[in-house]
Order: sequence, then structure tokens, then C-alpha cells
Amino acid sequence: MTGVHDLGGSPGGPVDKSQHEVEDWERLADAITIALDIKGIKTTDEHRRAIESLENYRELGYYERWVAATEKLLVEKGILTREEVDERSAEIENRWGGA
Amino acid sequence: MSHGHPHEEVRHESSPYAARIRAIEVLLLEKGVLTEPEIQDRISYMEARSPANGAKLVARAWVDPAFKERLLSDTKAAAMELGIDASGPVEFVVVENTAKVHNLIVCTLCSCYPRAILGRPPDWYKSFEYRSRAVREPRAVMGEFGFEPPEDVEVVVHDSTADVRYMVLPMRPAGTEDLDEEELAELVTRDDLIGVSVPRYAGSQSAKS
Amino acid sequence: MTAFETGDRVRVRPADKPGHVRTPEYLKGKTGRVESVLGEFRNPEDLAYGLSGLPERPLYKVGFRQADLWSDYEGPADDYLYADIYEQWLEHDKGGIT
Repeated sequence: MTGVHDLGGSPGGPVDKSQHEVEDWERLADAITIALDIKGIKTTDEHRRAIESLENYRELGYYERWVAATEKLLVEKGILTREEVDERSAEIENRWGGA
Repeated sequence: MSHGHPHEEVRHESSPYAARIRAIEVLLLEKGVLTEPEIQDRISYMEARSPANGAKLVARAWVDPAFKERLLSDTKAAAMELGIDASGPVEFVVVENTAKVHNLIVCTLCSCYPRAILGRPPDWYKSFEYRSRAVREPRAVMGEFGFEPPEDVEVVVHDSTADVRYMVLPMRPAGTEDLDEEELAELVTRDDLIGVSVPRYAGSQSAKS
Repeated sequence: MTAFETGDRVRVRPADKPGHVRTPEYLKGKTGRVESVLGEFRNPEDLAYGLSGLPERPLYKVGFRQADLWSDYEGPADDYLYADIYEQWLEHDKGGIT
């Protein structure tokens, strides 16, 4: 029994060497995750565990996994609720979409 | 680059998680869990880190054997000597390439990388393909990067499974005796520090004196 | 006081442990040699669930011949792989084969 993240030795195709421009939201995901770590609100180990538990691990990009894991932990620790994040995300997307 | 409150203009983000992390940011700020300076500090911290730091360490090690020993035995302290703050809970270890050994770094479980020195890893390092294949067929993977160590050079893979972060100290290319430290640093790429390639020197283009 | 020291032949326990572990599947049941003792650290398997992770456990850099890890390994016999493994995942290698 192996986790979906435990990839060493799995078959795989050629390594794609292309590099995407890091986007602001990814910088933010990085910064918030580490800031929470530094403040002792969550640990790197919890972060990894949360990433490994994502059902759609394979479909998500690297920082998408970070955001999903950070949200999962914040909800788990009672700091935020999923509903709050849903609501705010929707508001933000509406604003971005140009109502 | 702004990380503040979203503006009114139309944005086409590449991911639904972009709005999600903005929402999380706003909520955490409202609840006083994090402050704007705390977030900005982390953004600035990562911006200050890049492969150039690693190249500096390598170039210094090439010209100063005593520094090289310090780099190999206590990487954090050696980095600090050059003004690179790599303090934090993880350990850093530099592994040396020799005529007989070539090192390759991977984290199969999640993409751990010496971020506090080198900044963010390249996308390919984080890819499922690299994480899967680097441990099982390192020579084929390096071949895809155009590098093929001879059969009598031992390829050694380091899987960063715990909290030690690894960086490769490549060999100094031949013909570089007349280059100064800065010029030597320019030869060292991020990929060399991971181990999928080695620094190359084409030879002097014009006389430098 | 560590259970293993540099040079010891060790086998990675082929255990199935649910939850967060940092011992990759591809090393389970494989035999290698302790290269060095890296220090003692809190257990990530417990830290991952908000537990203290105490007591600290020794972490070892363990080396393996690639030919022992993969039946189809394509490179020379001397090619090697290191991973950093926690003490609770190691046992003294009982067999004398390779």
C-alpha cells in the first residue's frame, strides 16, 4: 500500500523541461504557507500530510496542492471554515470577472 | 507585483486556486492570524534567494580549498560567511562531484529542495516524471538534459526523504585557471547544482588581463 | 545512543504503515549500508498529526546499490542511491547474501 505521492521508481515519460512564469498567487501561496509555519500554526509535516491526503493529488499543480493543503489544515484547526473560503473566493472571482 | 486586495479589473488567472489563496489571505488578515508585513517578509525572502547564491558558494569553494572543506562540513555556516542566510530547521549538505563520482539530487516524496539558498526549484524538478525516474534511471534522466557521465563514473542519487537538503558541488571545468571568482560563478547553473548537468567552459573568447 | 552506526548493514523494514511516512515504498525490504548518523529529530510521522513527535529518533543516511533496488537497473554495478531513513524503519540485516 503506497501513497499517491510516493513516486520513486514509478514509470514515467520524458521530463518536461519547460518553465512557467511564477504567478503572484503562487508567490502568495508560498508566502502564506511558510508564514503559518514560522508562526507555529502548522508544521511542514502537517503540510505534507495534508498534500498527500488530497484526493485529486494527480490532477493538481504544485501550488494548487499547497493552497488545498493549507486550506485543509486551517479548517482542521478551526481557524477558517470551508464556507468562508468558498464565499470569499466567489466574491473575488466575481470582481475579477468584471461584473 | 501586488499581493494586496484584488483590483477591479478583469483577471484571467490560470487556476481556481488563485482566488482561493486570495480569499484565505484576506480572511487570515481580518482575523489577525497573519499580518501584511509577515506575508511580505516571506515574499521578499524568496525573491532574495536564487541559484546565484549556490553559484557563489561553488566558485568560492573552487578557489579556496579551506572554504570548500567548511562548505562540505557545515554548509549553513559556510553560506553565512558569504552573506547567505540559510538558517532554519532544515539541514543543508553539499555533496561533491569528483572524477569518480557524480551526484544527483531528488525528492521523490514531495520535491524538497534547498530553497533557503537557491530559491524555488524548477518546474521539472517537481514533476511526477522526475520524481519517479531520477531514482530508478538517473542516467537516462541526465541524458535528457544532455549529460552522460562515463560508465566508470559512479552516479550517486540522493533522495531527500527527511529534513536534510542537498546541493551538488560540481567539479571545476578544465581551462578555467585564469577566471576570477565572479567569472567562475557565472559558469554554474541551477541545473548543475541539482546534478542533471555539469558546468562547461568553452575557452577564453578574448584575452583578459 | 544509536541502534546503528556507520558501516552497519541494514534492511528497511517492509512494513505497511498508514498515514504520513517518509520511508519510500521502493526502499522497503531492501538492504543497504549506514553511511552516517545524521542526528536525532522529532518523528515526522507524528508531527504530521500535530503530535509532539517525541522522543527524537536517530536519522541515518543509508546507501544502497542501485542493482539491489531495481532488477532492471540500466547503469553500472557501482551506481548508488542514498536516502535519509529514521531508526524505527531499520533493522540489522540478517542475511549474508549480497
